[in-house]
Amino acid sequence: MIIYLLPITVLFPILASVLIPVVPIKSRRGITWFIEAIVIVNSILVWYLLWGSPDQSFTLFKFTGNLSVTFHIDGMATVFAGLVSFLWPLATFYSFEYMKHEEHERVFFMFYTMTYGVTLGIAMSSNIFSMYFFYELLTIVTTPLVIHTLKKEAVDAARKYIYYSMGGAAFAFIGMVFIILYGTTADFTYGGVLAGGTFARNINVLYLIYVFSFMGFGVKAAIWPVCGWLPKAGVAPTPVTALLHAVAVVKSGAFAVMRLTYYCFGADLLRGSWAQYTVMAFSIFTIVYGCSMAVKERHLKRRLAYSTVSNLSYILFGVTIMTPLGLVGALAHLVAHAFMKITSFFCAGAIMYKTGRNYVYELDGFGRKMPKTFAIFTVSAFALMGVPGLAGFISKYNLAIAAVYSDNVLAYIGVGALLCSAILTAIYMFTIIIRAFFPRDDFDYETIKDVEDPNYIMILPLTIFVIVIFILGLHPQPLLDMFVKIAVGNL
Amino acid sequence: MEIMRNFPCISIILCMCSAIVSSALPGKWARRLNVTIVLAVITLSGGTLVYSLAKGYETVYKMGRFPAPWGNEIRFGVLEAIMALFFSGILLLSVLGGSKKLKEDIDNFKENLYFVLLDLLLSSLLALIYTNDLFTAYVFVEICTIAACGLIMASERGRAIEAATRYMIYAQIGSGLLLFGLCILYDITGHLLMSNIKTQVIILASSGQYHIPLVISIVFIGTGLAIKSALFPFHAWLPDSYGYSPVPSAAILSSLVSKGYIFLLLKIFYRVFGLNIIQESHLFNILLIFGLAGMIFGSVSAILEQDIRRMIAFSSVAQIGYIYMGFGMGIRSGMVAAVFHIISHAASKSLLFISSAGLTDASGKNKTFKDLTGAAYRNKIAGAAFTTGALSMVGVPLFSGFISKLLFAKAAFETNAMTMVATLVCLAISTILNAVYFLKTVARIYTPATTEYETIRFKDNIPFGVACILFIILNLILGLASDPLVEFINRGLMMFS
Amino acid sequence: MINFNMILIASFLFPLLSGVLLFAIKEQADRKVTFAYTGLSLVITGVLNMILLFADSAEVKLITLMNGIDIVFRLDTLGKYFMGIVSLVWILAGFFSYTYMKHEKNEKRYFAYYLIVFGVLNGLGAAGNLITMYAFYEFMTLSSFPLVLHNQKKESVMAALKYLFYSFFGAYMALFGLFFMCRYCRTLDFIPGGVIDQVAMSGHETLVLVCICLMIMGFSVKAGMFPLHAWLPAAHPVAPAPASAALSGIIVKGGVLAILRVIFYIAGPEIIRGTFIQYLLLTLSLVTVFMGSMLAYREKVLKKRLAYSTVSQLSYILFGIALLNPAGLTGSLLHMAAHAFIKCALFLSAGAIIFNTGCTRVDELRGIGKKMPGVIWGYTIVSLGLIGIPPTGGFISKWYLASGALSSGIKGFSYAGPIVLLISALLTAGYLLPVTINGFFPGDDYDYENHKTIKTSFYMIMPIIVLAILSVLIGMFPNGLTEFIGSITGEIFNTGF
Repeated sequence: MIIYLLPITVLFPILASVLIPVVPIKSRRGITWFIEAIVIVNSILVWYLLWGSPDQSFTLFKFTGNLSVTFHIDGMATVFAGLVSFLWPLATFYSFEYMKHEEHERVFFMFYTMTYGVTLGIAMSSNIFSMYFFYELLTIVTTPLVIHTLKKEAVDAARKYIYYSMGGAAFAFIGMVFIILYGTTADFTYGGVLAGGTFARNINVLYLIYVFSFMGFGVKAAIWPVCGWLPKAGVAPTPVTALLHAVAVVKSGAFAVMRLTYYCFGADLLRGSWAQYTVMAFSIFTIVYGCSMAVKERHLKRRLAYSTVSNLSYILFGVTIMTPLGLVGALAHLVAHAFMKITSFFCAGAIMYKTGRNYVYELDGFGRKMPKTFAIFTVSAFALMGVPGLAGFISKYNLAIAAVYSDNVLAYIGVGALLCSAILTAIYMFTIIIRAFFPRDDFDYETIKDVEDPNYIMILPLTIFVIVIFILGLHPQPLLDMFVKIAVGNL
Repeated sequence: MEIMRNFPCISIILCMCSAIVSSALPGKWARRLNVTIVLAVITLSGGTLVYSLAKGYETVYKMGRFPAPWGNEIRFGVLEAIMALFFSGILLLSVLGGSKKLKEDIDNFKENLYFVLLDLLLSSLLALIYTNDLFTAYVFVEICTIAACGLIMASERGRAIEAATRYMIYAQIGSGLLLFGLCILYDITGHLLMSNIKTQVIILASSGQYHIPLVISIVFIGTGLAIKSALFPFHAWLPDSYGYSPVPSAAILSSLVSKGYIFLLLKIFYRVFGLNIIQESHLFNILLIFGLAGMIFGSVSAILEQDIRRMIAFSSVAQIGYIYMGFGMGIRSGMVAAVFHIISHAASKSLLFISSAGLTDASGKNKTFKDLTGAAYRNKIAGAAFTTGALSMVGVPLFSGFISKLLFAKAAFETNAMTMVATLVCLAISTILNAVYFLKTVARIYTPATTEYETIRFKDNIPFGVACILFIILNLILGLASDPLVEFINRGLMMFS
Repeated sequence: MINFNMILIASFLFPLLSGVLLFAIKEQADRKVTFAYTGLSLVITGVLNMILLFADSAEVKLITLMNGIDIVFRLDTLGKYFMGIVSLVWILAGFFSYTYMKHEKNEKRYFAYYLIVFGVLNGLGAAGNLITMYAFYEFMTLSSFPLVLHNQKKESVMAALKYLFYSFFGAYMALFGLFFMCRYCRTLDFIPGGVIDQVAMSGHETLVLVCICLMIMGFSVKAGMFPLHAWLPAAHPVAPAPASAALSGIIVKGGVLAILRVIFYIAGPEIIRGTFIQYLLLTLSLVTVFMGSMLAYREKVLKKRLAYSTVSQLSYILFGIALLNPAGLTGSLLHMAAHAFIKCALFLSAGAIIFNTGCTRVDELRGIGKKMPGVIWGYTIVSLGLIGIPPTGGFISKWYLASGALSSGIKGFSYAGPIVLLISALLTAGYLLPVTINGFFPGDDYDYENHKTIKTSFYMIMPIIVLAILSVLIGMFPNGLTEFIGSITGEIFNTGF
């Protein structure tokens, strides 16, 4: 019976969320409980499902002969679905406080909850078509979230977001059709489905199509030159920026690229080809580009968004190493970055919520007034820099080791880029931390005397995230063991 | 069962008769008659489809049982039946959706004339679909053109008349070229029936005789029909005539009339020349290049457009580019994709035209984007319909556009590397461009407005709402259960050759 | 039986936690309480370190981060040596802070970080493998920058940022090499003589050498080697004087320790000998020796002058290391201790002068010897030590350095080295002694009327005098120390010394 949980976990949030705007609950408290209940119930179902991890797949419906929307749980799905289902209830909880002063709350939460289901759909898709399907759907359900404030810049950002995403999907589409036509099987198979397939033509065509579809799925993972939407989309309410534009949406892109590389084209087929070098060069460039832009940026959330651009390319870099170790590194960073970045975004959100300040240079002396928030922010910053003992170090270490063992000179350069990015991360994070904790000696604390830490609704999720960052930094071995199993195709 | 073989002929004649009758009826009755006839045609086409499927090969129906070369033939298989079915169905829905709008646009006492033209149009389209005689085809091409002209200028307002004139000029050039081509062909083969010509053409081709006239006739016929179906760069007539004509006319013109010519071209490819000879003449390559160029150019023009109707019109240029791209690949699966796209585009484009009318009605009849802000809240059903159409055009899974995109991409993989890469890249770029202008519009109509316009509810215009819903359902069916249709098209094309 | 393992852990965890605890304690009305707490913690840590000096071996695996990354602490002779120097200097500078910090704000924060850095330095000394060392190296940077920007003036904050970013840059350069070491080393534990896996390395020699070079260059940022020395003269002078003393005396030695670990415990001297790494290091260190002295000579602000002097003196140590022979290494290690005591004493003297008179520039210090004789006597003694006048510590270390250079047989450097050292010694005399000379012999035009002797607090004068005595003792009775150092070099070069 557990097999039926596959479609239920995907469809339940989508269908239940439609009720949110119409459910006849008057009080705000009631509706928040209702939403939280939906999310938590679904998360519990997901965990139960992942715990049981049934072997069969479940076909929701068939499009045409060999195109079907099918769900299946494998190692990758477990990682992503587990991550998402852990973060969603906490992020929703946080949003209840944050969204207090925004309008159209219910519509917001409707789409927010709907996105949960769609993201799970991406995680649990068992073939490239299902993934593509949910990938497109994700664009559609998240656009209203970006546009939420209906200000001009929000509308512009949403437009940019949708053009980029749709454009990406258009290129990803090519790869999808290719895999469907020439794959030996429609399902994701570790090692790829093309080996022994019927594509006996010019191998360069295959490479070209891989590059196309990599860049296509890479749009959501914000690879240069198609990363422009992400910083712009920072105008959305913070819960969206934090959960969607640091985790769900962008990680879906990275996740799709992993599926594409390791489960469709097959890493062995691509390793050493010009296609590998091309996509790796792009991801290496993005690593440095994102950080440099973050250093330049003065707006706190946009700075973090650029940091996301860079960090997503860490993941892509891991993928493009195209060895099992590379996949381990990529998965490790996928998880680690999710926690680190959602933490820093939520801190930024707490600052905006309590004080309405958006720019880095307005944060003088905040460390003393919002000690909890800034302590947490500092931890996340250290983690992003890769200070040993925190989550970021472990993932970077794995990525770098994968590159070292790859015997690929470009990957060596990639290690350099990782470290270059680390120093830039230090720059853009420390300028904030030092401002907050060590303002100039003539700074007058009276000017910010009303600033205070937010209440427990915001602090609680943040605390949990910080604990996870420490756990991931100090005792990641069980998780890494699982990643290794996935990366060699045993899970 | 055997009686069904008469259905195509009956449906053509029914339409012509009703046109004659309608000219004497008052507007209201003419409309009712038209609806009845179209419903009848739908039924008859359905019957034809069943008949052809059961029979499994093409049926040749001699008019008045005169044999060739004196007689006139109708020849139909699965594909013809499907086309007839969809054309008449979409015509019905378009008229239904635009009926209220029509009353506003057209003088009361001329209303019956509009339906006369509609009936004529349908009959000529059916004739184009079914006929096996090139000259008959030419005659109905002309009838179709004239009827279309009338439909464009039905509102008799300034821009519409200008647009109709322009359309007339372009269409006549097209017809002229077509006629030239046919004459040359008749001259070198001595036949007018397609099947007879083909026998001769094969002999000529194998003997190498009349090589140049043959090629010239191919080029003339191809160009003539391309002009009439608004292939880039012969599309200049299109935006105005779709943009300023009454809504049902625009919907019908974009989804049916140009498609009728395209279908005729497809038939000529298969029935008159055979794919090999066309391939040798390099017509496919030319069509491919212009198709690809049209995909990009049409979309770019649409992006620059500020008027929603003209934007949709330019989008048609792009979509016709898709169809010609499918032809241009010169392979079976490309043709299948193109035929599917004819249907899917017809379903989405008329939906877009109809729903855009609903949106403009809810924005004080203004067609610019500035005024359309928030229109989807004022006319909910039109908003939903437009969104569906837009998503279908962009090629989002669930909707019909996705399937045609999928078929095109699949077909592209069967061609040589050069063509494949060019096609795929253009397909992707065109998707992006489609997304730009369609989703921009969708975002626009869902952005709450500052200016107040009156709200239109479902019950204010029930036919419109029903038409929208039916169109949406049609789109979803094409998107979700396309397998049978693709199978039928495949079978139909098999019968062709 | 004393459990040395527990003490090893305690030696870095105790000051760390007590520092963190100090944050948690509310600001005390009486500053003596804070200081008593700090002093007690410092002394306890010092005692723990002293106990460790007598331990044979201790090894603790604290935690396994992941397979291949263990956080391990292992006590070896080099670590003991480092921890011994650290605790002496740290405690003495800590006592100096008691008086000095009276005129600074945020005392509690200062003492908390002071304790934390102590713990981190102990951890650095005791680190048993490369990754642990790297981790503590990062922690050292992160915990020491608040000391630099303590007064939060714009200049200090900028200096702190400069310090941070230079340090991170260096650390990440080292990390780059570290990643590759994971592949080309048998283990990342520190084993005298190196752990490079010859089999894995074959075929990748250049890569490995480049990585080792990057690690050395990376860690040398902390040790202020040209070309990445610019942070040092900026950061050291802006900190409160005892912090400058600790930074200049000890933290920079963290960089030296890391280089020692990389060269002798990871790469092994045999791998590096004769390669470009050795020549690069020799060249850069000699350049830095000379350049640092010149810059110090030209500098007018006392604390900055001392900072430049640090740049120069540290490269003495690096030069000795780069010689890769026992004599050179002995000289380096001796100079490490001597310089730590001397530079600490110098900065403390400068601090005492600033605290009591407010003078920062050298030309304001005429007659200072008359005002604060105790301080200037201490200053003079250690200055002589730094110049290398027998029988001070500096003489003995430079003696070893010179003899190491001469016996190394490296073409060019074996003579160029001693010459540069000599020139630099002269320059050292030139920039340090004017303070003494002008201080004690202000000349005839000195205003004796307003002269009064300043009474210096015991807490200030005591550390300076103790350090001065220590620096002399090293020179007079070097045998104990050289024997200890002999056991280090013996391990590394497999020779009895």
